[in-house]
Amino acid sequence: MLFITSTARVISFAWKNLVRNAWIGLATVLVLVLALLSVNVLVGVNAVTSSAIKALEDKVDVSVYFKAGTPQGILDLARSYLASLPQTANVEIVSADEVLGQFLERHRDDQKILDAIKEVETNPFGATMVVKANRTDNYPFLIEALKNPQFSFAIESQTYDDHAVAISRVREIAKSVRYFGLILTAVFILFSVLIVYNAIRVAIYTQREEIGIMRLVGASNAFVRLPLILDAVFLALLALAIVGGLMALGVVFLEPRLKSFFDGADPGLMSFFVANAWYLGVVEGVTLVVLVSMSSWAAAGKYLKK
Amino acid sequence: MIILKHVSKVYPPDSHALRDVSLEIGAGEFVCIVGPSGAGKTTLARMLIAEERPTRGSIEIGGWNITRVKQREVPYLRRQIGVVFQDFKLLRNKTAFENVAFALEVAGETRKRIRETVPHVLKIVGLDQKAHRFPHQLSGGEQQRVVIARALVHRPKILLADEPTGNLDTLNTNDVIDVLKKINAFGSTVVLVTHNRDTINALNSRVITIADGRVVSDQKHGKYMLPE
Ligand SMILES: Nc1ncnc2c1ncn2[C@@H]1O[C@H](COP(=O)(O)OP(=O)(O)OP(=O)(O)O)[C@@H](O)[C@H]1O
Ligand SMILES: [Mg+2]
Repeated sequence: MLFITSTARVISFAWKNLVRNAWIGLATVLVLVLALLSVNVLVGVNAVTSSAIKALEDKVDVSVYFKAGTPQGILDLARSYLASLPQTANVEIVSADEVLGQFLERHRDDQKILDAIKEVETNPFGATMVVKANRTDNYPFLIEALKNPQFSFAIESQTYDDHAVAISRVREIAKSVRYFGLILTAVFILFSVLIVYNAIRVAIYTQREEIGIMRLVGASNAFVRLPLILDAVFLALLALAIVGGLMALGVVFLEPRLKSFFDGADPGLMSFFVANAWYLGVVEGVTLVVLVSMSSWAAAGKYLKK
Repeated sequence: MIILKHVSKVYPPDSHALRDVSLEIGAGEFVCIVGPSGAGKTTLARMLIAEERPTRGSIEIGGWNITRVKQREVPYLRRQIGVVFQDFKLLRNKTAFENVAFALEVAGETRKRIRETVPHVLKIVGLDQKAHRFPHQLSGGEQQRVVIARALVHRPKILLADEPTGNLDTLNTNDVIDVLKKINAFGSTVVLVTHNRDTINALNSRVITIADGRVVSDQKHGKYMLPE
């Protein structure tokens, strides 16, 4: 009976507190929202940068131009050899006829070139092989693999050398972006923790008189603390819901704009948040609830113990 | 009811608030504690409700040795001693009734019990007609009587008042003292810390004088002895 009365009363105290200190509560929620937003925005930025880097990495490939008239057998050999390497993600052969077709298509308004091609009669182009590595680090290995004497004699040229610098740049950028993104996120989380702790402390500071009175009239420590913790948890969940809404709005707003910035490629923002919404929500929710509970426990303790 | 044996209190590092105080207060007594500023009166009062622990000596209240009382037992002690402190105010945003009810609510008392008890204690302090006023709508003396009413809700065997009339004029002071006398007449032990010469002289009760942390006199029917 006492237990039920107490539980009901803790809840009703928590509720009254919340209503009576609505402004402080609102300010606390605002701070919590800002803290959560800063972390989430950073998480979003990290997601977009990694998909930008991925898009860049995807654009990297090695085009191998074979000499005109290279027999199909050599081409097949080169293809199957490269495809068998674990470092290769994808090998495609564009046949000599297709290369010619593409060339004619590109120059269909240039009568001179078309005439020149017609004069040669045979196809002046060789087949092209496009190789993609599964990781940018593996290109040097694939370039080495192309020196295989079984088909290297048929290779006229390859584009990789033009890309080599760009590839290593992208690789460096990707590395440091991920590294700094991680550090920045950690710093933001740390700041957010401090900010949240202080917001809760301020909220409880405004109730110190009441806490003092509760103690002196014989309220148990738990009875003083529980409503405060309950309020803090409620505010935290409210903040979480608001941040969830804001993030959803932000993502929906930004995705199409980023898409045009990415030349129509998937900016990865929406897909990232859709895929990780539950995970992020649970991790942030649990962290925040634990954090505010501990904060209010500690902050109330300052006015409780002797 | 209250037994202090060789109690000393040193606030770190070396502020000796009380030095070897021994005294005994019986059930139903009305005791005044007087003494100059800084004598250790408030320190004594705070130790009786385990707000401070003695550095040496032992304290017993109603047969319960509270010298080293555990933190989680303190609430039960507080419900046996009603406290009226100088800096222990009413909540501004609650009415007199709600302020008194608050003390019962935090102890997990039922609503029924609260509805019965609050008007009863407000009646004892003569404020049953002003139960629904907020503190700012009450005089200083009336506010202090609400504080006393709040101290009474757990039917304490002891009422401990540290300068309850400190900021009050003579008329209001008399009202508050009358309430304390009434409570004492109902059988509670009352310990009153005060500076007020007229109050002490009028009460004609036991007076314990403390100076520089020591009990310097203890009279059955005391008068105010210190030079003003
Ligand atoms: N928390 C504290 N820390 C250090 N010293 C303290 C503390 N509280 C009180 N003192 C010291 O202990 C002594 C007794 O203080 P106390 O408050 O008990 O005096 P008092 O008799 O109540 O005085 P007053 O009549 O002015 O209220 C004083 O010298 C005071 O400075
Ligand atoms: Mg004092």
